[in-house]
Amino acid sequence: MSVHSFESMGTVVSVRLGTAEVNSGSETHSEESALTASREVVALAAARQAFDALNERFSLYRESSEISQIARGELLLSDSSERMRDAYAQALLWREATNGAFTPHRPDGVLDLSGTIKAVAIADAAAAIHACGFTAFSINAGGDILTHGIPNDLATGAGDSEADANADADGDANGDADGDADADAENVRGWVTGIVDPQNRTELLSVVTLTPELPAMATSGSAERGDHIWARPGATNDFLQATVIAADIITADVCATAIIAGGQETLNHLTEQFEIAVLVVTASGELLANPRFPALVAR
Amino acid sequence: MRARSAFFAGAGSVAIIAIGWQAGVGTLVSSLPTSAPAASGTTASAGTAAGTTTAGNSAGAGTTGTTSNTSTSPSAAAPAAPAAPATGTVADGTYNGQTINTRFGTVQVNAVISGGVITDVVAVKLTDQGRQSVNISNQAAPMIRQEVLSAQSAKVSNIGGATYTTQGYLMSLQSALDAAGFTG
Repeated sequence: MSVHSFESMGTVVSVRLGTAEVNSGSETHSEESALTASREVVALAAARQAFDALNERFSLYRESSEISQIARGELLLSDSSERMRDAYAQALLWREATNGAFTPHRPDGVLDLSGTIKAVAIADAAAAIHACGFTAFSINAGGDILTHGIPNDLATGAGDSEADANADADGDANGDADGDADADAENVRGWVTGIVDPQNRTELLSVVTLTPELPAMATSGSAERGDHIWARPGATNDFLQATVIAADIITADVCATAIIAGGQETLNHLTEQFEIAVLVVTASGELLANPRFPALVAR
Repeated sequence: MRARSAFFAGAGSVAIIAIGWQAGVGTLVSSLPTSAPAASGTTASAGTAAGTTTAGNSAGAGTTGTTSNTSTSPSAAAPAAPAAPATGTVADGTYNGQTINTRFGTVQVNAVISGGVITDVVAVKLTDQGRQSVNISNQAAPMIRQEVLSAQSAKVSNIGGATYTTQGYLMSLQSALDAAGFTG
């Protein structure tokens, strides 16, 4: 497995790549490793492109971006690109699903889709990496993590290729229940992932295993870079940090953001509505978790 | 007899707290009559959010005094549990609480008695049929840190946290793992 990182969207994206499935008839070991290296270069370039393309269109920090033109009133939303309108429509659906705790508008009314765009970029990047033949990889963009498959070095013996094939059959970054039986049988194999303690950022609060069933984890906090979370009127400051583990990164990200913004009420609502595992640090430093969470803690 | 009623009062309050915690509502019932001792044995921790409540139900029923109350539940029930020091008048066993109808479904808890003290309170029946009932028991509940801490943190390859900026990344644990080429 190799480790790579690049900057985009104002943060650092950290990528771990397992071995790719090489279908060529390369005979020597050096040929094979050269091929793997070039695949990695292509996969990483594609991943970076996924981030940069979305950043170019959706960043309010770039004056030339399409969303900045909308913010300045130079472009009507109804005249904007299909991708912009799709992203806006999706964000509105999320606003509805979270009872307004998540919103694509800043308090001043300016359209801001950064709440979903980073997660979309992660999902796009994962699809691009997967298309390059990688069946086991992870993407960590500023603390939000999407994994795919099961790390090669953890897959045991003969189960290796089998697990990969299962993960592969999922087809996309959203994962599915395909790898389920394997993960259960082998007593939770997956990506061992830490959650930082918001009160002591050099310590881990918990360590969980991300599996093909629930491969995505996002964390929102009210302390660091909370500027992209806006509380609706009358919202509480219930929570310091909310971590959500879900089947896809967009659900995880939006739910984490909404729980921080909407507090206890939103937490209750979302654990009812979605198949998610949640770990919350309250303002007083206490922990809350729903029943799905303890099962994911790495033992 | 006084000890017995005191015990039941204690058991009732514990159960009420447990129910309130499970069902997500604080004001459910004012009392919880208990029935005769049922066959003790399997204490199914059905649907408890924590899932780690362990009852030290010693087989030697006659020995009072040293009771290993190892309840590590983080719930509100935990601090209340030792508050029922019965004086041996209560036989060991599992006592069924009355089933109570709530707007979320039917709720029933059992109290496990060992050596004259409550060693566990177990929710045996949380919900009826129906989606909402099931979902209610998926609500987040308090936990203690030990329950979410992992025994093995050495194999971590990724660290999640509230979004860090480019500068924040340099000070993040993830940065250290990346610099070390750490793959878990």
